[in-house]
Amino acid sequence: MPLYHLRKIRILVSLVFFVAILFVFLGIALPLIAPLGDGLLQLQLFPSVLRMLALSFGTAATGFVLVILLTLLFGRVYCSSICPMGTLQDMITALSRQFRKRKTQRFRYTSNRKNLLRYSILAATVLLWAGGSLFLLNLLDPYANFGKFSVSLFHPATIWINNTLAFTLERFDVFAVAPMSMHALPLDVVAVSVGLFAVVGTMAAWRGRLFCNTICPAGSALGLLAGHSVYRIGFHEQACTHCGKCERVCKAECLDSRAKKVDQSRCINCFNCFASCPNQGLYYELRKKSGPVRQPANSDKGKRQFLLTLAGGLASIPMGLKFAAARQGHAVLAGRQQRRHLHHRGGAGSIPIDSQLPVTPPGSLSHSHFTSHCIACYLCVSTCPTKVIVPSFFTFGLEGFMQPRLDFHRSFCNYDCVRCTEVCPTGAITHQTPGQKRLIQTGVVRFQVESCIVVADRTDCGACSEHCPTKAVQMVPYRDGLFIPRLTPSLCVGCGACEFACPTEPYKAIYVNGRTVHQPARPVEDDEGPREEVPDEFPF
Amino acid sequence: MDRRQFLRKGAIYSGLGSLYASTLGRLPLFGANSSKNNLMPFDLVAVRGGRPVEMYRRAMAELGGMEEFVRPGQSVCVKPNASWDVPPERAANTNPGLVAAIVEDCLSAGASRVFVFDHTCDNWQRSYENSGIEQAVRGAGGQMLPANMERYYREVPVRGGRRLTSAKVYERLIESDVFINVPILKHHASTTVTIAMKNLMGVVWDRRFWHRNDLHQCIADFCLYRKPDLNIVDAYLVMTQNGPRGTSEADLSRMRSLLVSSDILAIDAASAMLLGHQPQDIGHLRIAAEMGIGNIHLDQLNIQRLSM
Repeated sequence: MPLYHLRKIRILVSLVFFVAILFVFLGIALPLIAPLGDGLLQLQLFPSVLRMLALSFGTAATGFVLVILLTLLFGRVYCSSICPMGTLQDMITALSRQFRKRKTQRFRYTSNRKNLLRYSILAATVLLWAGGSLFLLNLLDPYANFGKFSVSLFHPATIWINNTLAFTLERFDVFAVAPMSMHALPLDVVAVSVGLFAVVGTMAAWRGRLFCNTICPAGSALGLLAGHSVYRIGFHEQACTHCGKCERVCKAECLDSRAKKVDQSRCINCFNCFASCPNQGLYYELRKKSGPVRQPANSDKGKRQFLLTLAGGLASIPMGLKFAAARQGHAVLAGRQQRRHLHHRGGAGSIPIDSQLPVTPPGSLSHSHFTSHCIACYLCVSTCPTKVIVPSFFTFGLEGFMQPRLDFHRSFCNYDCVRCTEVCPTGAITHQTPGQKRLIQTGVVRFQVESCIVVADRTDCGACSEHCPTKAVQMVPYRDGLFIPRLTPSLCVGCGACEFACPTEPYKAIYVNGRTVHQPARPVEDDEGPREEVPDEFPF
Repeated sequence: MDRRQFLRKGAIYSGLGSLYASTLGRLPLFGANSSKNNLMPFDLVAVRGGRPVEMYRRAMAELGGMEEFVRPGQSVCVKPNASWDVPPERAANTNPGLVAAIVEDCLSAGASRVFVFDHTCDNWQRSYENSGIEQAVRGAGGQMLPANMERYYREVPVRGGRRLTSAKVYERLIESDVFINVPILKHHASTTVTIAMKNLMGVVWDRRFWHRNDLHQCIADFCLYRKPDLNIVDAYLVMTQNGPRGTSEADLSRMRSLLVSSDILAIDAASAMLLGHQPQDIGHLRIAAEMGIGNIHLDQLNIQRLSM
């Protein structure tokens, strides 16, 4: 097969990955693409590492092993095809080049490999991770950021298009398109997403895959492996005429057509060079067959630098762990800690909630499991049907930077739904069947009796009990024929329906306090069926 | 314009107006509600011992069929309870077969369109689907409409309301000619029972306001805005505890009953008695009786009781 076909194949494969993964984020469930997207998500590098760690290896390691094997065989094809962020950058690059003069469209080999920057970032990311914080990984991982872009930018755009279509059709009495509710995201999260998008977009428009070869920790990690790949790109001494056409289309800026060298650690295997070469002056062959490969003299410098930084940093891990442990103690929701005496005027909803631990999704086992495995890609946020999962900023401290939590002021967790446990690619939310999920206590209900409408206003309400799926909140006689909530915490699953439904303002009279370690909930008894009680006579 | 001219013009215009209202009959306040309710053979029909759809057909036959309530060309709004993401056998939502039968009857009576909706408590798409109601309505030729966004609601005054003086009501219901209310009889944690009056909480946007401002009073007040032309209470499988969502089938009692009436208070009073309550003991029924929303005294009514 002529090598110039490789580029077309790469484009096709990358588009399949991009579209399938994007559609999972946008909730577009097309018959073939939806299961494909769920499967392809398993091949994301850092999520696959996290998944392997979260689920203690076994079959969970499949994705990771595949990516490593692929890289050792063919080089950084991951970056060119599997990574949706890579494809997004290619699109931005291609688009930006439509608006440029021909001359400035060209790429140029750059000898400055920025190894210090690349490997320092990688080392810092790995070190922080080892120390218990996913701060840098959640901020820099390309898949996580693709997720952030999807949720903050592409998903709202999709909803807008969907609703414009839905509302237009409704005028003609056609209800084929279901309207989707738009939910505002926290401003700080949107700001970070937009900022990152600006950085990545600018770098892509300016110099192709610059982001992948300077900042991206996945790119740097795979770059280390790509130097050892079996198949690699190189110049044929005879066939190459130094025309430089390959160099001009190399968006990784790693082809030196004058010296006839390829920097393997930066090459992302986009195969543009093959398509551009008029003379078949490049090969993509087994290392052994092609004889000794010309490598830049200082090729091992990057590796050495990385190992050195890593070793140095390992010493600081104990300190990092200590820091992480300290944060664990006070993962308390900010902003609800107003002093009691300032706000207590009496009446419904007047009593501030002292402290409320955040609730993590069912299947996330514990705060520490969740915060040490969630990469903040927000796939759970965008696929949650009730939109109760929302991104947070520092709710889980630095080690759980930007990770999502359940917000019961906005919505509540559907009792029978397990969507988030099905999609999570990192194992931060472990897979649950509806039957298993109904027995997980993610948090426990609490009641501020003085804040309740029934006590303060002496009128019936019961919105909390009405919504409770397990009757952990039940209405019992109070006085003057009124009913008041009574809690059975062992039945509570922490779904937050009571907190959502509670009408008191500004503070809820009933709320869910998150469990730092999820507990089993008592099952609802349901062995008997309905009783047969047809009336012999109507009582009226 | 002098006084004579003014009076003459006024007379002509008001004559044209009433002609329009009586011929087209599409003004919701005058058209549908001025049906032949007064001439109906019974104030309330109660059937027991059959399947939901059989009992419904039997009851409607006693009242002269759906043609008594729906005239050709009218638009019909059917409001079941489809509020919860639970399967039909849990009886937290109205029986889907019953809803389908009503939709079919309205269409055969000549309705121009029949639509069904609920402002659900659980996620609307899951509730529509898992209640079985969406599929049943579509199969019967009706439309199952979304009601999950505020844009579908319009503010209307509730004249005479004591606590609830205005409400955001589902816009298509406001514009509909005939309103058929199809609740399922259930125990309710906060209002003791949920029947026809309580089911109307699913046609407004802001339910929290009701909960915050004397729930029983607001339920009664809302009937002043618009009373359904027909109420059909599904009491086949009845949730007697842990309502309104229920936790398992052990909460249910198979009463195999069904009630039909145009009087929302009368049907609630009779249904409450099925659950073993005295109507006067239920807050919103007592208040509604005070406010003259219907007749709570069942002994004053002409009731047809049937057994199958």
